[in-house]
Amino acid sequence: MSNSVFSVISRFVEEYRSSTPNKLKVIDAYLLYILLTGVFQFLYCVLVGTFPFNSFLSGFIACVGSFILAVCLRIQINPQNKRDFLTVSPERAFADFLFAHTVLHLVVVNFVG
Amino acid sequence: MYPFEGLFSLLVLSMVLETQALTPTHHLTTTDVARLQAVLSQPFTDLKSAYYSVVGLSKLGILVADADETCQFIKSNLDPSSVESLFYAAEASQALSGCEIPVSNDTRDLLLATVSEDSTASQIHQSVSALSSLGLPLASQEVVSALKARISKEDNVLTIILALQTASRLSQQAELGDILEEIEDLAARLDDLSGVYLQFEEGLETTALFVSAAYALSDHVDMEPPLKEDQVIQLVNSIFSKKSWDSLSEAFSVASAAESLSNNRFHVPVIVSAQGPAAISHSQPFLRLQVTDVLCQPLSSASVLVESASTSSSKSAILSQAPFTLRDEVFELNFMASQPASGYYQFSVAIAGDSRFVANHVELKVKVSTRVAINNMDLSVVDKDQSTGPKTTRVEYPTKAKAPFMADSHQNFAMAFQLVDETTGVELTPHQTFVRLHNQKTGQEVVFVAEPDSKNLYKFELDTTERKTEFDSISGTYALYLMMGDATLENPILWNVADVVLKFLDEEAPSTIQAKTLYTPKPEIQHLFREPEKKPPTVVSNAFTALVLSPFLLLLILWVKLGANISNFTLSPSTFLFHIGHAAMLGLMYVYWTHLNMFQTMKYLAIIGSLTFLAGNRMLAQKAVKRYTYTQKARLTAHKAGPQTKKLSKEPLAPISKNLFFLGATE
Repeated sequence: MSNSVFSVISRFVEEYRSSTPNKLKVIDAYLLYILLTGVFQFLYCVLVGTFPFNSFLSGFIACVGSFILAVCLRIQINPQNKRDFLTVSPERAFADFLFAHTVLHLVVVNFVG
Repeated sequence: MYPFEGLFSLLVLSMVLETQALTPTHHLTTTDVARLQAVLSQPFTDLKSAYYSVVGLSKLGILVADADETCQFIKSNLDPSSVESLFYAAEASQALSGCEIPVSNDTRDLLLATVSEDSTASQIHQSVSALSSLGLPLASQEVVSALKARISKEDNVLTIILALQTASRLSQQAELGDILEEIEDLAARLDDLSGVYLQFEEGLETTALFVSAAYALSDHVDMEPPLKEDQVIQLVNSIFSKKSWDSLSEAFSVASAAESLSNNRFHVPVIVSAQGPAAISHSQPFLRLQVTDVLCQPLSSASVLVESASTSSSKSAILSQAPFTLRDEVFELNFMASQPASGYYQFSVAIAGDSRFVANHVELKVKVSTRVAINNMDLSVVDKDQSTGPKTTRVEYPTKAKAPFMADSHQNFAMAFQLVDETTGVELTPHQTFVRLHNQKTGQEVVFVAEPDSKNLYKFELDTTERKTEFDSISGTYALYLMMGDATLENPILWNVADVVLKFLDEEAPSTIQAKTLYTPKPEIQHLFREPEKKPPTVVSNAFTALVLSPFLLLLILWVKLGANISNFTLSPSTFLFHIGHAAMLGLMYVYWTHLNMFQTMKYLAIIGSLTFLAGNRMLAQKAVKRYTYTQKARLTAHKAGPQTKKLSKEPLAPISKNLFFLGATE
């Protein structure tokens, strides 16, 4: 059982390394960073306590929000999805990403206290 | 005309008898009238104040002290070229006896010329009044047409009031019908405040001037003004609710309103007030009423009648149609002659005698008080098991029982008495009948209520065992008092009836009663401030901060490994502007966190954001163009090279776009 799982994983990793374009890998690295940041924040909350609860919430929401926006960007840029996003050029996707991030930052900074 | 009027007023009276009419809630008392007179008697400084004082005092029926001096003052301050000055002088001299203002032809011409459509209503009023007071002829019809033109041009309240006043000085042959109709229109403009007051929004002075003008004109043409009784009373309430006046003109307007309401031919409001408190007793058997007009002048021609007098609770009539007798300008009635029981009575009083009387039905509440006597005060000590008969001692008021009564846990102490009216012998039940026991030594007192039984016999029983908590089980000699009082009793009673020695079982060690520490300083309250929440130790917080920031290093390492770079950075002003703007926005976020509030941030964000947007748009457009041309070239070369290089078209954006996105990925 574990053998098949392991082989699936290694196959997946191989596939990923070869066929994903570099720009998507850059975004994936960014996604991993956001994920880890969120996980560590959550860990702190679970271990130590929720003392400034609003700060925890705003930090966590920032991570979640950024993750979602980066995923959207990745989807819109992926050339394999070009048919689904005929009206959205990569530059347009990036501009949307920046604008949505500005709004997210405004909300997060307001709430962090 | 008179029979018609008589019928009219009869109709009004009959309506009054059926409906519950208003009675004035505010009126001038004699002190108020004296104050009004004092205000109007102040020494005058100029012609206008002289006019107000002299004419105002004449309305109150008072003559000015030095008529000659005043006349001289008027003559010396007169300015014959001003209509206003002539008006004040003419009216004031008319009120003084033997004061004549010399009139020249120019004066007369000036006054006649002012009567035209182009002058204001105030000017027309002043000139017509001056002409009339100086005895000069005037053309009434011209005045009427000028007034009508003025009213149609200026529709405000004061203009119409002045028109009414002016019309009352014209000859009776003139066509005053249209102006007379204005009274009704003006009355409709009055504001009704909670059914009690009726006044113009312009204020007290305007309302008072309206009343005097309306009645002046109505008297002049001998037609009843279209004001209902209730409206008249409401006007009385409004005008006479203010007892001190801000200005001489206000005092003058109140005086002239008071005069017109006491002296006109149609409506005379009647003010009925009891002299002193409306309370009767055997020593004071007469109910005295003062019946006056609004100027506090007694209405001697009136006849006052009690229509019905009934008790407040049972509504059975004690008196019906009993007349008051007039004595020294006060109407009195001997109510005690009907031998009423003590209590409160509702009187319905009617004032007749003149068809002009308004509000001549009054409801009064009269109190009849009496003296109380205590009969058959019996004190006894009864054994609980009733083995021995009760020992009863009778005590007469106001003496005290000679021997003290002893009561311990086996005995009850009882008291019985009767309260009767001293004169009639009728049994009474006053509101307060208390029995008070006062410990001489400790100062403690306990109060009980004595209740009457069905035969109005008061009983009080003290069970020592039952009541020991009230006494704190302290034995000793208690002085027994009977306290009695009521609003209708003239002689409230506090009677030390006897001394009672009480013995309680299970007596605690005689602790001194501490006087209730109500007014001594209480122990200080220490305020407990809200504890700040427990914060984790700084080491832990710092450790976790480092942990949370660590993935950033990982990110940089990964990016370097992937080969992300900024080699495609185009050097154009829009890119610089974009990056600077973007950095500024991030900096603004930090400043927002530390210093600003949302509104300021939005303001700055709007500015920086729009710049960044424009620059970014330009920059991305340039990138897009570059990408497009690159892909076109790639396709062209691929096409030229043949089908092998087809693979290139799959990833046309690879070299450029990853750099492009690195620029964005630094979020």
